[in-house]
Amino acid sequence: MQSSAEEKSSTLKAVSQRVPLWRDVVVIKWVTQLALLAVVVSSLWFLAGQAGDNLQARNINTGFDFLERPPDIQLSEGIDTSPATGGRALWVGMVNTLRMAVVGIIFATFLGVIVGLARLSNNWLIKRLAGIWIETLRNVPLLVQMIFYFAVLTALPRVSLDSGPINGWFHVSNKGISMPRVFISDGFYQWITVVGVGCIAAYFIRKQRLRKQDLTGQDTHAISWSFFTVCTFAIIGIFVHPIFGFIGEIFAGLATLFENIPTSIIKILLSVILIFFATRWIRNFFASRRSATGHLSLIDDDIFRMVFVGTGALIAIIVVVSWTGISSWILNSGRDLFHMLEAKFEVDGAARPFDAMKPDIVKPGKFANYGTSGLTMTPGFAAVFFGVVFYTSAFVAEIIRGGILAVPKGQIEAANAVGLSRGQSLRHIVLPQAIRIILPPMGNQYLNLTKNTSLAIAVGYSDIVQVGQTVYNQTGKSLPVMAIWMLFYLTCSLTISVIVNYYNVRMKIVER
Amino acid sequence: MTENETASSIRGDRDLANAQDIIVCEGVSKWFGDFQALNNVSATIKEQEVVVVLGPSGSGKSTWIRCINRLEQHQEGRIMVDGVELSNDLRNIEKVRSEVGMVFQMFNLFPHLTVRDNISLAPIWVRKKPRAEAEEQASSLLERVGIPEQADKFPGQLSGGQQQRVAIARALAMEPKIMLFDEPTSALDPEMIKEVLDVMKELALSGMTMMVVTHEMGFAKEVADKIMFMEGGQIVEIGTPEHFFTNPTEERTKLFLSQIL
Amino acid sequence: MNLKKSSSPNQIKTPSSIEPPNSQLPPKVAALSSTEWLKANLFSNTFNSILTILSTAAILLIIRGLLSFIFNPLRQWSATATNMRLLMTQAYPEHQYARIWVSLGFLLFLTGVSLAFWRAARSVLISQVGKRLLAIGAFILLVTLLAPFSDRATIIWLAIGVFIAGTGFLLKSAQEDKTISSMTLLSGTFLLAILSLWVIPYGHHSYISTRTPKILAEPGTVAMTTKLPWTIMLAVTICSYFLGSLIRDKIDESKGKALLSMTWLISPLFLLFLVLRDPDFDTGHLFSTDIPIFLFFSIVGSLLLLWLTNPDIGEKGRVISTAVLFVGFATFLFQMLMIVRILTLVLAFFALAAPTFSGQKPARIRYTKVWIGTMVILCWLITAINTPSTAKVPGDFFIGGFAITLMIFFFTMVLAFPLGVLLALARTSKFPIFRMVSTTFIEFIRGVPLITILIFFSVMVPLFLPDGMDLTEIAAVTIAFIIFEAAYLAENVRGGLQSVTRGQHEAAEAVGMTNAQKTFFIVLPQALRVAIPPMVGQIIATFKETGLLAIIGIFDFLYIARSVIPGQTEYMGSTRENLLFVSLVYLVICFAMSKASQRVEKRVGLGER
Repeated sequence: MQSSAEEKSSTLKAVSQRVPLWRDVVVIKWVTQLALLAVVVSSLWFLAGQAGDNLQARNINTGFDFLERPPDIQLSEGIDTSPATGGRALWVGMVNTLRMAVVGIIFATFLGVIVGLARLSNNWLIKRLAGIWIETLRNVPLLVQMIFYFAVLTALPRVSLDSGPINGWFHVSNKGISMPRVFISDGFYQWITVVGVGCIAAYFIRKQRLRKQDLTGQDTHAISWSFFTVCTFAIIGIFVHPIFGFIGEIFAGLATLFENIPTSIIKILLSVILIFFATRWIRNFFASRRSATGHLSLIDDDIFRMVFVGTGALIAIIVVVSWTGISSWILNSGRDLFHMLEAKFEVDGAARPFDAMKPDIVKPGKFANYGTSGLTMTPGFAAVFFGVVFYTSAFVAEIIRGGILAVPKGQIEAANAVGLSRGQSLRHIVLPQAIRIILPPMGNQYLNLTKNTSLAIAVGYSDIVQVGQTVYNQTGKSLPVMAIWMLFYLTCSLTISVIVNYYNVRMKIVER
Repeated sequence: MTENETASSIRGDRDLANAQDIIVCEGVSKWFGDFQALNNVSATIKEQEVVVVLGPSGSGKSTWIRCINRLEQHQEGRIMVDGVELSNDLRNIEKVRSEVGMVFQMFNLFPHLTVRDNISLAPIWVRKKPRAEAEEQASSLLERVGIPEQADKFPGQLSGGQQQRVAIARALAMEPKIMLFDEPTSALDPEMIKEVLDVMKELALSGMTMMVVTHEMGFAKEVADKIMFMEGGQIVEIGTPEHFFTNPTEERTKLFLSQIL
Repeated sequence: MNLKKSSSPNQIKTPSSIEPPNSQLPPKVAALSSTEWLKANLFSNTFNSILTILSTAAILLIIRGLLSFIFNPLRQWSATATNMRLLMTQAYPEHQYARIWVSLGFLLFLTGVSLAFWRAARSVLISQVGKRLLAIGAFILLVTLLAPFSDRATIIWLAIGVFIAGTGFLLKSAQEDKTISSMTLLSGTFLLAILSLWVIPYGHHSYISTRTPKILAEPGTVAMTTKLPWTIMLAVTICSYFLGSLIRDKIDESKGKALLSMTWLISPLFLLFLVLRDPDFDTGHLFSTDIPIFLFFSIVGSLLLLWLTNPDIGEKGRVISTAVLFVGFATFLFQMLMIVRILTLVLAFFALAAPTFSGQKPARIRYTKVWIGTMVILCWLITAINTPSTAKVPGDFFIGGFAITLMIFFFTMVLAFPLGVLLALARTSKFPIFRMVSTTFIEFIRGVPLITILIFFSVMVPLFLPDGMDLTEIAAVTIAFIIFEAAYLAENVRGGLQSVTRGQHEAAEAVGMTNAQKTFFIVLPQALRVAIPPMVGQIIATFKETGLLAIIGIFDFLYIARSVIPGQTEYMGSTRENLLFVSLVYLVICFAMSKASQRVEKRVGLGER
């Protein structure tokens, strides 16, 4: 047997070594991939070149200088309605988008949970009502809804000086909805520092209580304890917060530090971090491919991954080193941030953390409008807000319902069998499992909601898209503005999906 | 000795000494990341031989036979099937795949196709047979595995044993020279094992070259020409059934046999 | 097991396809003791009682508010009614309106035949119908009593309500096992609706008789112009249904279904570019350029494909088809007719797929026939699109309103689906660069809102095109839609692909299939079946997203309702009325689509698993 095998293999050896290139699967695999890459890259290159030519032919400048120049823009609302630069205008738009997204997510979740639970209610009328709510709202396009709400709001009676606030609390007119405002006052930052200290204290207290509970087996009310700790600190903070003014000094120091660091140090720091992560990744990769006997087995995909990571890191380092703009941007924004924080803490003494004001009506020119003291939802804001909240609530409700129904009946029966009460089984058995099912689609809905706020352009709410469109209509810089849009939304999407993934991973570990 | 007799009675007197080598493995090694699944495996299988591969789970049996029709790629050493070496050569892979049939533990029938289509799909599209001919062949193969009446059902409507027999028919439809069986009865209820083993025995009698990974010792004793025992990715012992079951040489084989018998 | 047994005697009596609205209660019990039902479902405990009372009050208030909004004398519903033509087709010329009816008639004909072929009819219990009618009648009565109608209108509506409720009551007590086909019900409903066109002069009129004492109908309004066509449409549909059920039994059903599906796919293209647009063919150009190009490609392509489908061709075939692919890409670098570029690329893909479909003579000839068929359709369409239209209308495009919404929706779905499948295959492929490119693309598109992509395409596309190439805004926007939806569909398909087990891949490989064969015959059929429910969801979402066309100023349904009609002097401030109509149209279509998809899911058996 041995000899015959040898014979066979010796005849084999002569023919086997040469595999023609066009028949080698590994060669085919990589040639196909590189060909695709070449087609993609060259068509992008071609289109970009075409765009460059066309832009030049039409004398359109694509620089980002408009960010620094004063625009001629009035925004309908935001932290700054007459921004000094184009960049500032876009910043206001981003803040408006984020504000809408955050408020929308909170309210849509709240409303959606209520509707979803109503859909599961054993009251026939409530169940049906929730069903109608869901089916109607999710089957009418969000844009149509928004425009309709806008049309309804703007058709309301006009506001005038003598149509004074109803009891000074709440007012609705064609200029929107105005209500009392609670706002952050000068002492807020010192106060929130105190609360932060309280949170840390509560964390330790909770840990200690839990340890005691584990040891003695008695319920030590850990949650209540920590809650009361935070409350105590919050109340004390109202009186003692001025003493935290010194934190401003720390921020001032940090700002000076950032002002004096040379960009080269940042460059080196960034490069070192990149090199560290790249080498660590490659080292781990090798370790995962080396067998106990020390044999290293790498297939073609492994080599590609190493080359990819290595080249990526190299390119990143080259960009960081050669483009000083990045380092100085980091330094500048750090400096600005700390200066801002310093200013927040500088306010002294008797300032309160919060203040509240009632709505008012003013008449600066020909037309009356709401003044700044109340919290006013402009018709645009209200239309987008009701639009995204109602629309998303329908989807959230379905997710909640599905999640709760997806928990197997056996689980509740098992909980009853081991003697848990209804509340305990809900808290310890049903909810943890339902949340695991609910969370990923909820993250998706939050993403959708954030993206849907961009429809604000149809009702004139100054979100990033609307502001961007105004800016490029004024300056003709459509390409850079669109690049900023895409970057902004990609960052938002990425952030939300990172958060959701983090929770998903954590949930999974908890499950095991 | 009685087992020896049954074996010879089933297999008849065939002169395997002069048969051609059909599968040759030489120093085959394979790693999954940092785990070595095959360690320098060398063996030869002759035409019309029935080889049963035994061994504890995780010993590399399945990996080895999956390397033989290149569902897995070996990283070192050489595998030659019917004179064709398995390498990155596309033409060789295609040739080997269409000459080696395989039956899986989990049947892996195509659930969206009827039994007849399951069997005739590959002959039509790979062997390029006319449809009528392929379907006729499917019917006769179903006859051969004993379930001609199930042709128009979907796999989900069949029992496990029937599904596995359809899987055998599907592999036979390609008219392979070699059949590989990867634990064909492990996912079956005990009462269904026999019907599958009967089909396999019939196949062995018809002179098919077979390589079988299984835990069915009865089948190994009765049908096998050769038994290979693997552990830790290595072939520990090769021998005839009577040698293997009555008088194993290696300590590890003895331990294995004492655990399972 | 127990459950099934107890329900089985019930199922023998009642056809299994019926789903009673509240399945926890058998109808008999409900009929016997309505007080008990009320107690169990509305007043089971104090909390529920309070909720019931509160929500009843809320419902009454809401209905009253809605009614007083809808029937307010200030509402201008005539704005919607008299502008119906504008809403549907924008400024499509009136004397060519027959074309629209012909197109619609053809689609309805297809619908009728398809309904018969896919056996969409099911039997409905008459008592069930009676219950529905009773509920509808009661609702009409409630609304009539709450609404601010004039005396006469109230009496008419009360009479209608009583009639419906009475019919329902009579039918309700019909025998348990008496059933009626859902198709009969459906056509009956439509018949009533169309009959009302003959009786009631819809159009410029008001429901409020105190304000306009007489019901006025102006010539040229809805009822006058559409009653005859709609009657014909209904007749066509019903006839085609019977025709369909006749043919169904005569021919091979699966082949008939395949033919119907193909017709569904192709007919909108032909209707749009040939019937509605009525291209003004330049025969000289046709004979000098288009037909020679077609002949050249069909002959050369057929020869090439006949050769490539030879099973013994081996790698040589791969090399040749790769070369054709390169030629296809290279055509974009030179000045050339677009039709040549497109056909070369299509030929290259046919050549690449040839080894998969190779075989004996019949198989080879079949493949070549498919190629020639594709060529005919492609050349015909390209020629039709490039020929000027005789349907002359002001503005960019010859049609608008709801028609353009539907058109863009259709093109998006038809073209986004294959692109989505390709992206999904690339994202799950074994080739890392394919995965990277596809993942980057999908995640980028999914990370940004649709409106930014639409604005990008409508504003920037002219900048990216080489000289001499031109793309209308509609085309650019459709491409944007296609790209966007493809990324989402790709994720749905990917879910399906991941559900196909490794064993399936291995089994296909073990019987010697190539990657293309494995994907086409084994993996995709299974994956797509799993991906149907999310894909239908995505289709509905796409339909809703067509409203975004209004933002970039295309004269679609929403834009006309929001901006065009309120701009007419006689209908200032009628935005809300129009928007409510638009909402209703979207609501009905989306709701119907999601209900239909749920039924299909049940039939395919996806709900089980």
